[in-house]
Amino acid sequence: MIKKIIMKRYQINVLVIFISLLFFGCKKYLDFQPQGALSANGLSSVTAVEGLTTASYAGIANDWWDAPITSNWEWGSIRSDDAYKGGGGLNDQQQLDKYEQFYLVNSSNNGAGDFGFPGAWIRAYGAISRCNAALRALSLVTDAQFPKRTIRIGEMHFLRGHMFFLLKVLFRNIPWFDETASDDAIVKISNTMSNDSVWQKIEADFQTAINDLPQTQPGEPGRANQYAAKAYLAKALLFHAYTQDDNYNVTGIDQGKMQQVISLTNDVINSGLYSLNTDYAYNFLDGHDNGPESIFAIQYSINDGTAIGGRLSMSTSLNYFAGAPQYGCCAFHIPSQNLVNAFKTDANGLPMFNHFNDPGAEMKDSIDFWTNGVDPRIDHTVGIAGHPFKYDAAIPYEHSWERDAGDYGGFGTMKELQLATCACFKKLGPFYGTSVNMDVIRYDDLLLMQAEAYIQTGNPAAALPLINQVRSRAANISPLVKKMDGTYPSNYRIDVYKPGVNIPVWDQPTAFTALQWERRLEFAMEGTRFFDLVRWGIAAQTLNNYFAIEKVRRPFLLNAHFTQNQHEYFPIPQEQIVFTNGLYVQNKGY
Amino acid sequence: MRKFQILLPLLLLAFLGFAQQKNISGRVTNKTSGEPLQGVSVQSKSMTVTTDSAGRFSLPATVGETITLSFVGMTTLKVKISSYGADLNLAMEQGNSGLNEVVVTGYKSEKKVDLTGAVSVVNLTNIKNNPVASPMLALQGQVPGLYIQADGSPTGANGGAPTIIIRGVNNLNGLGNTNPPLYIIDGVPTTRYEDFANLAPNSIGSIQVLKDASAASIYGSRAANGVIIVTTKDGGTSGGEKVRIQFSTSITAQTEKPWQEPVLSSHDRGVALWRAAVNDSTDPNQNSTNAIYQYDWNGNYSSPVLNKVIIAPYVGGDTLEPAASTNWQNALYKTAWITSNDLAISAGTGKSGLLIDLGYYHNSGLMQFTYYQRYNARINSHTSAFNGRLKFGENVQLSRTSQVNSTTDVGGDAVGDLALTLAPTIPLYKTDGTYGGPVGPGYSDRNNPVDMQYLNRWNTTNLFLTTGNVYAEIGILKNLVFRTNLGFDYSDGRGKVIKQIGDEGPVNSFNSLAMQESKEFTFTWSNTLNYNLIYGKSRLNLLGGVESVKDDYQTFGASNTNFAIQDVNYFQLSSGSGSQTNNGSATGYRLLSQFFKAFYSYADRYLASVTVRRDGSSRFGTNNPYGIFPAFTLGWRINNEDFFKNVKNVSNLKLRAGVGTVGNQQIGNLAAYTLYYANYGTASASFPLWLNTGTAYDINGVNTGTLPSGFVQTQKGNPNLKWESTTETNIGLDFGFFNERITGSFDYFIRNTDNILIQPPVAGAVGEGQLEWLNGASKNTKGWELIVGYHNRTPSGLGYSVTANASHWVDKITQLPEDVRAAYPGDPNHSIIGHSQFSIFGYKTDGLFQNEQELATAATQPGAGLGRIRYKDLNGDGKIDVTDQTWLGNTLPKLEYGIRVELTYKAFDLSIFGSGVAGKTGFDPVKFMNSFIDTRNNYGPGVLGAWTPQNTGSKTPALSILNRNGEDRTSDFYYVNASYFKLRSVVLSYDLPRNVASSIKMESLKIYVSGQNLLAFKSKEFLSKDPERANSFAIWPVPTSYTFGINANF
Repeated sequence: MIKKIIMKRYQINVLVIFISLLFFGCKKYLDFQPQGALSANGLSSVTAVEGLTTASYAGIANDWWDAPITSNWEWGSIRSDDAYKGGGGLNDQQQLDKYEQFYLVNSSNNGAGDFGFPGAWIRAYGAISRCNAALRALSLVTDAQFPKRTIRIGEMHFLRGHMFFLLKVLFRNIPWFDETASDDAIVKISNTMSNDSVWQKIEADFQTAINDLPQTQPGEPGRANQYAAKAYLAKALLFHAYTQDDNYNVTGIDQGKMQQVISLTNDVINSGLYSLNTDYAYNFLDGHDNGPESIFAIQYSINDGTAIGGRLSMSTSLNYFAGAPQYGCCAFHIPSQNLVNAFKTDANGLPMFNHFNDPGAEMKDSIDFWTNGVDPRIDHTVGIAGHPFKYDAAIPYEHSWERDAGDYGGFGTMKELQLATCACFKKLGPFYGTSVNMDVIRYDDLLLMQAEAYIQTGNPAAALPLINQVRSRAANISPLVKKMDGTYPSNYRIDVYKPGVNIPVWDQPTAFTALQWERRLEFAMEGTRFFDLVRWGIAAQTLNNYFAIEKVRRPFLLNAHFTQNQHEYFPIPQEQIVFTNGLYVQNKGY
Repeated sequence: MRKFQILLPLLLLAFLGFAQQKNISGRVTNKTSGEPLQGVSVQSKSMTVTTDSAGRFSLPATVGETITLSFVGMTTLKVKISSYGADLNLAMEQGNSGLNEVVVTGYKSEKKVDLTGAVSVVNLTNIKNNPVASPMLALQGQVPGLYIQADGSPTGANGGAPTIIIRGVNNLNGLGNTNPPLYIIDGVPTTRYEDFANLAPNSIGSIQVLKDASAASIYGSRAANGVIIVTTKDGGTSGGEKVRIQFSTSITAQTEKPWQEPVLSSHDRGVALWRAAVNDSTDPNQNSTNAIYQYDWNGNYSSPVLNKVIIAPYVGGDTLEPAASTNWQNALYKTAWITSNDLAISAGTGKSGLLIDLGYYHNSGLMQFTYYQRYNARINSHTSAFNGRLKFGENVQLSRTSQVNSTTDVGGDAVGDLALTLAPTIPLYKTDGTYGGPVGPGYSDRNNPVDMQYLNRWNTTNLFLTTGNVYAEIGILKNLVFRTNLGFDYSDGRGKVIKQIGDEGPVNSFNSLAMQESKEFTFTWSNTLNYNLIYGKSRLNLLGGVESVKDDYQTFGASNTNFAIQDVNYFQLSSGSGSQTNNGSATGYRLLSQFFKAFYSYADRYLASVTVRRDGSSRFGTNNPYGIFPAFTLGWRINNEDFFKNVKNVSNLKLRAGVGTVGNQQIGNLAAYTLYYANYGTASASFPLWLNTGTAYDINGVNTGTLPSGFVQTQKGNPNLKWESTTETNIGLDFGFFNERITGSFDYFIRNTDNILIQPPVAGAVGEGQLEWLNGASKNTKGWELIVGYHNRTPSGLGYSVTANASHWVDKITQLPEDVRAAYPGDPNHSIIGHSQFSIFGYKTDGLFQNEQELATAATQPGAGLGRIRYKDLNGDGKIDVTDQTWLGNTLPKLEYGIRVELTYKAFDLSIFGSGVAGKTGFDPVKFMNSFIDTRNNYGPGVLGAWTPQNTGSKTPALSILNRNGEDRTSDFYYVNASYFKLRSVVLSYDLPRNVASSIKMESLKIYVSGQNLLAFKSKEFLSKDPERANSFAIWPVPTSYTFGINANF
């Protein structure tokens, strides 16, 4: 009997416990917190804030060749008269063929996914979102907590300006916003802000950077300083100064902005912190990162503990040669015949402005670089059969390195490539990366920006020494380009402009032609050409003239045509229009 | 909760004090074989027990009461108790139908006749005698409503899980392993496919598939994709102390030869490229392939004559690499040998049972340098005390799989693709014995697929799984059973990736080793109370329970570079001298649930059940963690009605209806949170491997070493997330005619899924890490399933049976936020609403332009030309553009069906099984490669018959490299009818006569031969030989297999 009672009690206990379990809702049990992550309210510590600014720098460099935001070879070089797409046939990375020949039929990149400009849009805005997140976090700490707070704010404005500048020259009509816009607000901001206003916003970011940044950032050359901001503001103003109507026609030149360009570039020049490298080659060689000529550069690194063996320069990784035993793929970005011819110089060592590209007088074979006089920069820029490649006399460039000689053969690109033996070089499957930095603004660019501003403000005389300074350095022939036997591979013939001596007059038109030529040669294959042409308002004229002659040499260009008032800018990526429910207005002609 | 954990052992002790009651006992055997039957459910008024391994049972009962015995596959037996004391000797007969089968349906078992939901009981003989690595692959086409899409790799998906869909895809996930069913293995829930796949067929006792929501809702939250319940054998099926040994072995040869696709020889590829260049009016001797091919031709573009194709003698001018004419399929694939061995030892005494199962499976790999191997061991045991009032036991399985899978080339192309598309001029080997490769002008940057497999040969993936449960069952009161079940699932996965320096074309210039480990531990604790009451004609069953799941997942990885010696033994992390990296992460989830089910039956005529389950999940954050999932069912056993008594030929007729709701939480563990991570960039994601990612940057300009790094947002949180839920109505009819000679069932269902979890794309302007999970869309799926079987035996002793099944479902999206639609097929005029997400949207074609007149009269089509594809101007605006697209079909079939014919005569048994799909539109990669060419790849022989001005009438467009007509756009040109029927297996087996078997000390011996994947029938317009490979060649071909096997019992 007692046993039974005890038993019953236990039975009841079991039931009670069980029933209580049934209705047991343990909130704590379901609380699973993120591991190894920072939640949104953990962002106010100084470490986190500094981390967000560091990540913003990484953001402007996170790309590879599918949709670059670092190198502009796909946007500025193959879309110009400087280069062909290259690669293994016209259908290899066909989106680039469409950019090169301007037959982009719709704005969704023809099914190539995020490859190409739609991906660049996403990456550039991704980098901007990092800057804005950092700026929001910076507003939550005090100068006392974080003494470098103001400097970092300046840096974030600089990086944001840098990315908006890229978007501006690629797409023109872009949604602009700053760190105060919430996600919900951003998707309601259209791309209809006026051309002027967007430029002003970009300029304002650089102006804030100028105000906030110190003159130097010792020991941290990767960071922007006040002079980098001044140089970049000058660059933005230079683009903005060429006023455009809604059809992208250049309607005038804003003198005030050009004066600002002069004054800003003067500040940089007078700082004494920057100068031209003695050897032009150093701009494209390992061991000279952050040298005196570099004003702001994307920093790359190798053997830094990241997965592929470094944060390497991957946006140009397609451009190594397919047939070269030391490389293996993929031979994109091939200098055009037109570009090679542009290096021809006359008996005075000056460019052959009018007859450089005459049919029948092309520079093709090694001998042509002896029978003609050439600008020495060609052997830093173009791989020519028999000439030392990338300053290595032992392994000269060969036609056998070319992958698609039928379509694109003849020359190879050089500036963005490094030797396979370089400590800065890594072969990654079919691709190649280097840790050599990529300059965003160099001192030679700054000098020519100032020269351009002087010319456009009616002071060509002031531009002359600037252009000549750049030419003098080029004329200082680099010993690195010598062949095994100690001789130079080409007949270098270059001189500075001497009005009345080797050039009749130095008036505004002459000076501007000289400036345009100088920019083309100095920055050939560096992805700036197309944007220069659009800025000057001569893209259609220049490119259609180029196609007319080049298509005889290169039949693949048979149908290439640049449509004025359309092809100056990419379309707004169709997906972005869809994702905002048609909020963005598509660019003209697409 | 902790309190209860402490109390539990005390409670167990308490039962030691139970009083003895008057029991009856007995032994149950199989009438035919005389073997004792274990696991028979014996039910008296007061209690239900199951028989032990000796077939013995004991339970309290009163004289005059009827006890009921039920068991899977046996006719239910009712016995009236006439007196105490006598040891009952009861024999059960093999049932003709599964009517009285007992099936596990969720924390308890039910008789099949009592089922009111859509439940399929899997015929296990289909799983045995099949050389596949997973029982799932043997189920293809066998269970109506269960759709399986697998490739020919050992696991069915190149190391992963094949697509398994029950009654369609409820949400907006894609195919693949994105909607896994919930597996309940011995009461332990898991969504890990390998937990099921690694079960040895011989250790499986039963498999049930719960298809509709009313059946599955007892599993609530995670049952939206259906539930597959597996019960493993309990051991000890022999009587007394006898030990029983079962041994099965088989050897299989697999070949893909019958399914190979023809490709062009080196010479013929040259002809095709020449023709294309001529068509494009470009000089065939002056283009991107002129370093491989030169042509002697008449130079006349309007009437071209090719005299000779001159192939460059060496690839890339390398004299070690003479040009060849390689068939890469022959080079990449080989005959695979599969050996499968399984040894099961079971033993039992009156109270306890033990099963030990050891298995070894090895597949030598259809593809060069691949293999798959598995060891598994299972130990199940149980014992009971206090006259069966306390039972406890455990089931545990250890398994270890090792495999080397197919890989990709350095640029991310699958080797299977390369086996068809790599240029044939490349030799497999150079003359120095190293691998040939695409070097030099004219070649793509793709690699030799055999070399890729060779370089990949040490990259083994290992998975070690420990799964199982420990349980105790206590009869607390009369008819009230408490069960507690502790389930565990521990996985330890290890991946090794060795990248070697290769000398063939674009391969790395440095070597590396990366080790990646992931460990997951899932702990499930379920407690249930089960109460049975029989009162007059009424039967009532009540079930209540709680369940908690705790899952923790961790990864750890490390890598090193620069290994001096390229040897598998040398590749250890400490042996590299380059830069080292490591990575690691942790995540997990928690679930907490309460559930209740009531089942009521009156006079075996009217059945009803109610289920309610409440689930909480940590994945939904703090605002809405709980979901409630109810279900209600009714059943009417018409044949038990008085008015039906006279209907002689109907032996069973039951109408079922149910409505239920189930949930889904297939989102990231931390979807509710906004997260910022430090991402140094140590673990590269998948393609593209070479993208700079992360938060580290060389701010100090030092070029190397550890970089400063920061934080970045990776996800936007949504604290308002809630369960995705599927509500389903199911109506079913079970029938049996002519004394169960014809049996079958039909089910019709409608399901609506709401609050579907989606992660919509956002405007790029918002920036990085801004994707957010939302409850946003709705879907509707309708369908039916039918299974009919007929079996009979002729007077001469020939037994035959035919079982056919068919299932159909169509799904459509009924609601989708506007801004998400761009991610799905369709356009503003053709909304995806009303269509499935597997719809294909594209152009309709209308043959080729044959002459100038056709060109002149057709709608304006950019790129149109003679011999080019003509697209239909669907909107009639006189021009062909994106607005001329329409719906072209669905990549998932409308109908799936299977048919099995079995013949038995004396000791011989022949089983033929085939299955197929209908109403499926698929991409035909063979049509593509026999129609279009480019300068990179190889193509099919169809391109040689392409349209030319001299060969008008051809259906293959004129060859062109330029593709100005955009013929690779999605169109019905190569999205064609992909319906097929496959003869999946033929098995012939022979049972050694019992006396012969016993003379060699065996209880029985079966010998069989079988063939798998023997034939395919398909629509004419589908050119690929194997329609199951209908998306790309990147997936493994499904091979034809031949097996010889032996099953022996000692």
